[in-house]
Amino acid sequence: MGNTQVLFSQRIRKFVKNNGSVVIFLILALLASLFVKNFFALNNFLTIIKQAAIPVIACLGITLVLMTGGIDLSLGYTLGLCSITVGLFVKTVGLPIWLSIVLTLLVGLLVGLINGTLVQVVKVPAFIVTLGSGYIIFGIAQIVSSGSDVNRLPASFRAIGVTNILGLNTTVLISLVICLIMYYLLHHSTFGRALAAFGFNAKAARMSGIRSEALNILVYMICSFLVAIAAILLTIRVNCAQPTMGGGVYTFEVITGAIIGGASLFGGIGTVIGSVFGVLIIKVLENCINLLNVSYYTYQAFQGIVILLAIIFENVKNRKL
Amino acid sequence: MQKTILQMDNITKYIFDEHGQALRGTTVKILEDVHFDVKEAEVHVLVGENGAGKSTLMKIIGGIIPADGGQMFLDGQEVTFSGPRESLANGIGFIHQELNLCLNLDVAQNIFLGRESQKGIFLNKTEMYEKAKEMLLRLGFDINPHTLVRELSTAQQQIVEIVKVLSYECRVIIMDEPTASLTKSEIDKLFAIIHDLRKNGISIIYISHRFDELTEIGDRITVLRDGRYIGSVDIAEFDYDKIISMMVGRKLTAMFKSTHLVQDKVILEVKGLAIARNTPPIDLTVRSGEVVGLSGLVGAGRTELAKSIFGSRPYYGGQILYKGEEIGHLHPHRLIEKGVIYLSEDRKLEGLVLEMSLKDNVTLASLKRMYPKTKINFAREAEVASESVAKLNIVANSIEQLCNTLSGGNQQKVVLAKWLLTTPQLLILDEPTRGIDVNAKSEIYRIIDELAKQGVAILMISSELPEIIGMSDRIYVMKRGAIAAELTAKEDFVQEKILSYTL
Amino acid sequence: MKGLKISKKSLLIIASVVALFFILGSLVPGFLSMRNLMNIIRQSSIIAITACAMTLVIIIKGIDLSVTGVLSFCAMVNGLLLLKGWPILLAMLVGLAVGTAMGLFNGLMVEKLGIPAFITTLVVGNVGGGLALLLNAGKSIGAFPAAYVFMGNGTILGMPVSNYIMFFFVIVTSLLMSKTRLGTYIYAMGGNETVVKQQGISTAAINYFVYGFSGFCIAMAGILLSGQLDTVHPTQGEPYQLDAIAACVIGGVSMLGGEGKVYLALVGALIIGVQRNVLNLLGIHPFYQNIFVGIIIIVIVAINIHQKRRTIEISKIF
Repeated sequence: MGNTQVLFSQRIRKFVKNNGSVVIFLILALLASLFVKNFFALNNFLTIIKQAAIPVIACLGITLVLMTGGIDLSLGYTLGLCSITVGLFVKTVGLPIWLSIVLTLLVGLLVGLINGTLVQVVKVPAFIVTLGSGYIIFGIAQIVSSGSDVNRLPASFRAIGVTNILGLNTTVLISLVICLIMYYLLHHSTFGRALAAFGFNAKAARMSGIRSEALNILVYMICSFLVAIAAILLTIRVNCAQPTMGGGVYTFEVITGAIIGGASLFGGIGTVIGSVFGVLIIKVLENCINLLNVSYYTYQAFQGIVILLAIIFENVKNRKL
Repeated sequence: MQKTILQMDNITKYIFDEHGQALRGTTVKILEDVHFDVKEAEVHVLVGENGAGKSTLMKIIGGIIPADGGQMFLDGQEVTFSGPRESLANGIGFIHQELNLCLNLDVAQNIFLGRESQKGIFLNKTEMYEKAKEMLLRLGFDINPHTLVRELSTAQQQIVEIVKVLSYECRVIIMDEPTASLTKSEIDKLFAIIHDLRKNGISIIYISHRFDELTEIGDRITVLRDGRYIGSVDIAEFDYDKIISMMVGRKLTAMFKSTHLVQDKVILEVKGLAIARNTPPIDLTVRSGEVVGLSGLVGAGRTELAKSIFGSRPYYGGQILYKGEEIGHLHPHRLIEKGVIYLSEDRKLEGLVLEMSLKDNVTLASLKRMYPKTKINFAREAEVASESVAKLNIVANSIEQLCNTLSGGNQQKVVLAKWLLTTPQLLILDEPTRGIDVNAKSEIYRIIDELAKQGVAILMISSELPEIIGMSDRIYVMKRGAIAAELTAKEDFVQEKILSYTL
Repeated sequence: MKGLKISKKSLLIIASVVALFFILGSLVPGFLSMRNLMNIIRQSSIIAITACAMTLVIIIKGIDLSVTGVLSFCAMVNGLLLLKGWPILLAMLVGLAVGTAMGLFNGLMVEKLGIPAFITTLVVGNVGGGLALLLNAGKSIGAFPAAYVFMGNGTILGMPVSNYIMFFFVIVTSLLMSKTRLGTYIYAMGGNETVVKQQGISTAAINYFVYGFSGFCIAMAGILLSGQLDTVHPTQGEPYQLDAIAACVIGGVSMLGGEGKVYLALVGALIIGVQRNVLNLLGIHPFYQNIFVGIIIIVIVAINIHQKRRTIEISKIF
């Protein structure tokens, strides 16, 4: 048995360990191409990418939160709040588009600030804080909108997300830019390093000079900020601002994407590539469900099983590899 | 001639992890060839310094961890315990120092947890509470069994622990520092209980540092030192000096070479700092180029003092001046920027991020300094990490190796490397060589000497007397939250003297 | 009752309920009518039953976020079987079994795989919700046999049947917690798990029981609700997740574990029920209720944790 053989299997193991979701994605895509009619088509691939673009943004946000060992169950409801906020500002109140967007992003930051402060300063467990804040946000969204949607948004607003530049949709481009920024943040900057250390061992991180208190709060703010961006883009895409947009189902889907992508519930582990491919895996599955004409309800139930398998797999992997 | 109930021969134990298993590839022994025996109806006192191995030996008897070598005999039969319950089932009770109680339950519930008396499927509460009350009174303590343990004083909680263990039928009872939080009258009651137990044929293994108690209560005294059995003496032949010299009588090796000179400039000045509400104020100074040793028993407050200085812990009144500037209550990141660092005694929990690589750990405290624009330069990082590895002789497969696979000595070196990278001016080291093999130890001593030569001020907490004596220019001894003595003259650096200050 | 200790906290909770009662009675028209009060209890019974089990889960430092999904799913299973002509008792048994099974699965994940309770129950809840939608393609069902509806809406001796069922659950759970070994062990586990293990008590068994029981109670709540409304809507369980937790939190169950009395969780459930009732009577939109409940939970937990940390800090002194 030669040295090169040992090295090769070691490298494979390392690749799988660090990029499990890419591998799963490729296998899935392969299987789909073979067994699902109409899957293997450029049009279809573009559709999948388009559908993944927006959730990826939110998923990157929740990945950061998961890396601290926390959770944000208010994510889906924040999406709805930001959606109706931007819609009301742009159409009903009639503010200039740039201002509407800025204010909506501020709303996102505010939500994150409140969540983060309650978790870090008041030390209430994250799942309680965000469970409660989620409902509060949902209530606020409903009240602010009087329960109704805002339709027929101005074309100039829509243009932000729907234009085609160099053949690619602006929404996809924005998503790509955010991915690149997050990639830098998480894998090439001191922020990412500090975040990982904090997630693994908050005490040691603090005693090594990492400003863990500020970091924890900041992460929730970034998450909600990204969710606000996603909300704006999604509102543009469906041309309708809805207070009910997203909701608990969306939260769940985004968390699933992050966990399939390898983010650990216990903190410290999370990658941009992993989360992106985690979302892609979900969208591929959705795509296949559609092409195969399976009931969407089946898929919803199925999704939970997928996340369970992902968690179990993660667990086993972290202990064995 | 009394019968021997418990006998331990040639007990050896290597340094172990949280599951009681020996660390991979370690040569560090906590116990070596220890002999220990307990006779029927005797109170056998066990003494030794911090780290002598007393607790470890008791944990083996109590079935909490297995021995790596040697045998244990109970009534002449060889036994090994797979867990604490088996030990208890064999008649060995263990009253721990840290309480094994559920604070949210009441006294009676704690005493009978797992053995409640029942009336059908329901609890027989009347019986339980009556029995509990009776047990407490019989031992001379008037505690209401309905009280939640959380509401009791530490002393009372200790008493509940004692009552709980005594309620099992034991032939040997281990008491680990039982009087630590008791008042004089409570101690008297405890001693009365011990006398009674002995009259009934039960043996007690009594661990304590309080020599005045030992002569009052003990029949025999055994001394451990550096994990070895030194000897046993009948209380009738007790001689204070003899026992002290047995505890510390080791040859001081020439491991410590000092090539640095103490300068006049005061780097750290602590004035009137109290680490708790009811402890006296502490004054302490460390000068540039000086290695100041901080000695004392575990629980004397040394780590609390260190953490108070380093902003990890609240303190009560007083000033902490670093180069003349007040630094109390600052966040660690500010302190590190100023050049103050603290090397924690718990390297696994507070010193390292075990799941991250050697390189990431070494650079962790220097992120801002190395990458002011937040962009990580991986090439530079690898360079710096490799330099540290070379400088400190860290043994690792690569700088990407995860720290949880390194040996204890190398882990400690990584932590040290991390701090050295921040170019500190004041080092507060808490047990820097704990659990490390001899070679690594001498390397660390060399590094400390080097730093002192460069004018760095060092405050070193250590429980190893030879280390404190060999490394320090000056020694403070702490006892019960206060400074008990300051030794400036090298002639005073005598193990026996220092030990007597700590007791 | 010998040994019945009422702590200061319990007194405070009960006193505030009584005060609330009188204030509302005088301010809100229609509040104090017997019919309205019985209605409040009837509607609160759903929350109360889930809160019984949620109390236990929180005591062992866990949480059950599967209420929405499991409630809907079990109600749906039960309802479909009823419509297929199954005997009422049998259909209910199946519904309860399904809920218990899902609860036991939660226990399995927590115990054997060490997966945090919040995520495993969240996932199981979602699967349940998905299955509830799947079973009947998202459509509601209704028009159940009269006997069944009687369980939800009928009265015996002037009190709604639902209330009897609720009291039964509360009393049984209370007795379990205060008068049996299992109850002591559950509290002990929330206090100091190491000691529990040392005494030879199986923490695994406790985990399975607590989560299984939770599944059972949630299923019962779902079945009862469908009886009350004579409908099963696939997303019926929505508001009950937060309400169940809120009831426990208001009832003084501590998020840090080890503490909580079932009868106080009942009081908490009643307070939530009263709040919803009053806001309805006053014509205030249910969405405000959600906000109110969300805020209450966060505030009470924050205060509770703050208090506990202060005592921990103080006792850490030398």
